[in-house]
Amino acid sequence: MSKSTRREFLTKAGIGAGVLFLPGISLTVRASSAPIKIGGSLPLTGAYADTGLWVERGYRYWAEQVNASDGLLGRPVELIIYDDASQVDRGISLLERAITVDRVDLLLGGYPGTTAAAQMAVAERYRKVYVSMGGHMASFQRGFRYSFGAPPLMGEWWYEGAFQWLESMDPAERPKRAAAITANNAVGMAVRGGLADGLARSNIELVMDELYDLPLASAEPLVQRAKALDADMFIANGFFGDGVQTIRAMRALDYNPKLILQGIGSLIPEWVQELGEDGNYVVSGTALHDKLPFKGVEELNQVARERWGLRNAPEYFLFGYAWMQALQQGVEGAGSLNQDAIAQYLRTEGIDGIAGRMVFDERGLPPAFSYTTQVINGQVELIWPLHVRTHEPVYPKPPWGR
Amino acid sequence: MLVEVVQAVVTGLLIGLTFAVLAVGFSLIWGTTGVVNIAHSAFAVLAAFLSLVASRQWGLDPIAALVGLVPLFFILGVVLHEVLIKVAARRTKELGLASMIFTFGLASFMENGMAYVWGPGPRVLNTAYTGAAVHLLGISIPLTHAYGALLGLATIGLLYGFLYHTFPGKAVRAVWQQRDGAALCGIPLHRVTALTYGVSIASASVAGVAMALIYSFTPATYMVWLVNVFLIVIVGGVGSLLGAAAAGLIVGLVSSLSVLVMPFVWTNLALFGLLILVLLVRPSGLLKR
Amino acid sequence: MVNRPRDWVYVFGILLALGLLPLAQPSEYVLSFLYFLFSYAAMAVAWNVLGGFGGYLSFGHVTFFGTGAYVTGLMLVHWGWSPLITAPLGGLAAALLALVIGYPTLRLRGPYFTVVTVVTVLIAKIVVLNVPLTGAAMGLWMPFPPWDPFTSRVIFYEAVLVLLLAALLMARWVQHAKFGFGLRVLREDEDAAAAIGVPAFRLKLGALLLSAFVCGMVGAVHGYDRSYLHPDFMFDLHPSIMMVLMALFGGRDHWLGPLVGAVAVMITDELLTVYVGTEAARMLFGLLLIIVVLFLPEGVISLRLPKKPPRAAAAGEGVSSP
Repeated sequence: MSKSTRREFLTKAGIGAGVLFLPGISLTVRASSAPIKIGGSLPLTGAYADTGLWVERGYRYWAEQVNASDGLLGRPVELIIYDDASQVDRGISLLERAITVDRVDLLLGGYPGTTAAAQMAVAERYRKVYVSMGGHMASFQRGFRYSFGAPPLMGEWWYEGAFQWLESMDPAERPKRAAAITANNAVGMAVRGGLADGLARSNIELVMDELYDLPLASAEPLVQRAKALDADMFIANGFFGDGVQTIRAMRALDYNPKLILQGIGSLIPEWVQELGEDGNYVVSGTALHDKLPFKGVEELNQVARERWGLRNAPEYFLFGYAWMQALQQGVEGAGSLNQDAIAQYLRTEGIDGIAGRMVFDERGLPPAFSYTTQVINGQVELIWPLHVRTHEPVYPKPPWGR
Repeated sequence: MLVEVVQAVVTGLLIGLTFAVLAVGFSLIWGTTGVVNIAHSAFAVLAAFLSLVASRQWGLDPIAALVGLVPLFFILGVVLHEVLIKVAARRTKELGLASMIFTFGLASFMENGMAYVWGPGPRVLNTAYTGAAVHLLGISIPLTHAYGALLGLATIGLLYGFLYHTFPGKAVRAVWQQRDGAALCGIPLHRVTALTYGVSIASASVAGVAMALIYSFTPATYMVWLVNVFLIVIVGGVGSLLGAAAAGLIVGLVSSLSVLVMPFVWTNLALFGLLILVLLVRPSGLLKR
Repeated sequence: MVNRPRDWVYVFGILLALGLLPLAQPSEYVLSFLYFLFSYAAMAVAWNVLGGFGGYLSFGHVTFFGTGAYVTGLMLVHWGWSPLITAPLGGLAAALLALVIGYPTLRLRGPYFTVVTVVTVLIAKIVVLNVPLTGAAMGLWMPFPPWDPFTSRVIFYEAVLVLLLAALLMARWVQHAKFGFGLRVLREDEDAAAAIGVPAFRLKLGALLLSAFVCGMVGAVHGYDRSYLHPDFMFDLHPSIMMVLMALFGGRDHWLGPLVGAVAVMITDELLTVYVGTEAARMLFGLLLIIVVLFLPEGVISLRLPKKPPRAAAAGEGVSSP
């Protein structure tokens, strides 16, 4: 071979060999970038599993998306989700385990509010950012620097939209006497928090205000009371299970209030599955919804249709996704896994995701907001504020079976 | 107001009958063998779960499921006797106290087993008549309560007939009253005791279904039901079938009427308070023969 | 093994050595496990004075645990006093409650007494759940301990180790004193004992108060560690069941018995909970209760103790020292 051809040959061979090695190089580069571990617990079994499982799906779908594109800060994410069996106790120790034994880089939020509130304290102690639904107003008044409700599920804000809607009604049409039953736990009590004032604004008298311990053995005595008191508005500040029992008791006792407010549970698909037509016309609140006009919501609806054959994305699937998205934006905005930097970023720039744009204050909360929902024809519709309304509200509630 | 009280009385009597069935089986075992079977209500909860399964898997109405459950639980009762009670009777000197511990262990075992299989969350039985009711003069009688009470009544009636009008039943009563005397008369103690356990646990299964028609339940619910059972047995006197029935009605009434006079969350306390009161004042039973 | 006078020195020696463990910088996990072990052991040892020596089975001692936690927790929230210092006050509060409960209920025997203790826990839970003072259904938030997590862990570890030592010393003293002797006589036959002049009621009450005091102190420490109290887990029957199981499984006739039981049960619990699931662990404990009562009524430790003299001997022959 002549000198030049040999040089050519060697160059080509060199380039060829280099090309062959390239994938090898990029493989080793990826292999040496360890995944970012995100850990925590959720109620995958137990009283709150119905919801916990949807939150988990939201988290996992987010992780899937992130790993399918550029990862977080260029690294894949790995979720470590323990099952706290709906017990606060376990939520506390499992989060501690994730922090001290698994040494996770980031935390994921728990459910429901009682567990989240307890976990907020743990996260604060270890100085790690904790994005979750929060544990209602009380939990955000403790001066925690690392907890964020993004968005929060704020019991105290829950019925705000419903109260505004009632105020907008002709006074002659409004209910006059309200009966409230409240699950005796942090969530129920928080939702009940805004009740007295809200009702007073529409001149509705609160004639019954009972608490009940979970699990609720039977809703009949409570509903019976409300019926005997001629309450034409019924407020059930509870969860899915007791909510279902309450509706059934109302039907059994033929109690027909004009308006039923339900705390939690009327937004998950199981509500309509369990109750069928009886589940209709129940009004509730939320901080997120599949019909909201924010970026990314429609894509998630699509995912729900394809994967689970549902009409729209379930509420808590959206929440799970939203919380992870908020964390992601915080990390990317800060450009690192430094918890203080992330917290700082969330307070100055905030986030802009499927729950809308929000900047967080000293307490870790966005400005107060609430959307009001009503189940109509088996579908969860938005009825307040007017600019997001998707269906005319049905009021008064038609009697059972008609 | 009157309507509310009448409604509470009606509901109270209905649920009282349901509680009475649960108490009767418990009382039977305590009376005849001195064993305090903490797991009695755990068996009831188990029956409730099984009827739930029957309802979900095969669409069987829980009452229909009893056709299969009652014999099954009868066998479970006999097994309980053979495997645990006989051994315990032989090996321990204070059967009453020892029985408390090992039946507590059994109950805990069952509770967690159920939680493992079905999860600890609250369950409700869904039947064709859930949510339906009969309305009479402004009083609502939910069908679930009515059927539960009828089941209770039927079972207590059957038990009464068994104990007083059949030979094996009379043998059970003989052992109950005078163990040694019964043996002297040639009654096969071992077989009769086994029979007693079978009957007791079988009645627990009926009670479980009846309770589940009315109340939501979790694996841990057995403890709440047990406290009610204990109250009934103490009030009615250990070993009295009719006493248990009457006491059941009383407890049901207290439970139901207390809702009218105190906040809902304190109503359980009323029952607990009543239990402690009775224990301190008349532990031998208010309705002792 | 443990009957020779010198051997109790070994036991205390081991415990003191464990007190020095934090110097070796062990993992938080080990410290945490031992923390729970010492806590449960302390309570089981204390419980045993009434339940094992006296034969009065209480499934309600978790009430005292919870009371100690809430009382000291409230003092921390309102007056800023550290529960590590006010723990004895928590214990005192628990003992006071024990006095109020014990006075009427210690007259009851056997199953009646036991059922009342269970009902006590249920009542306590309802009351604390619905009273604003204790935070009701929201629970009670307490300020954090002022140390970093690792130092915190070490401090709490030492605290419960001290409590365990105290409980062991107390139980050992009771066993050797006339007190323990009297209790055991009660257990055998209360009516006969009363007939020969044994002050039955005073002994029972004393045993109850002592055990409540220890449980209250353990509760105080635990409450502070958690920084969040809620009746759902502060008045739960499970710890009570554990205390009974540990004492009976280890050996109810000896002050060391519950400690042995605690070690065995905690290790099993940890293994099962991590590898199988909590329900499996609790199912096993249910089974163990059955097995213990039927086959090992004197507990595991009886396998090492010398055989008791035949029952025909007068009640004057008690258990041998240490």
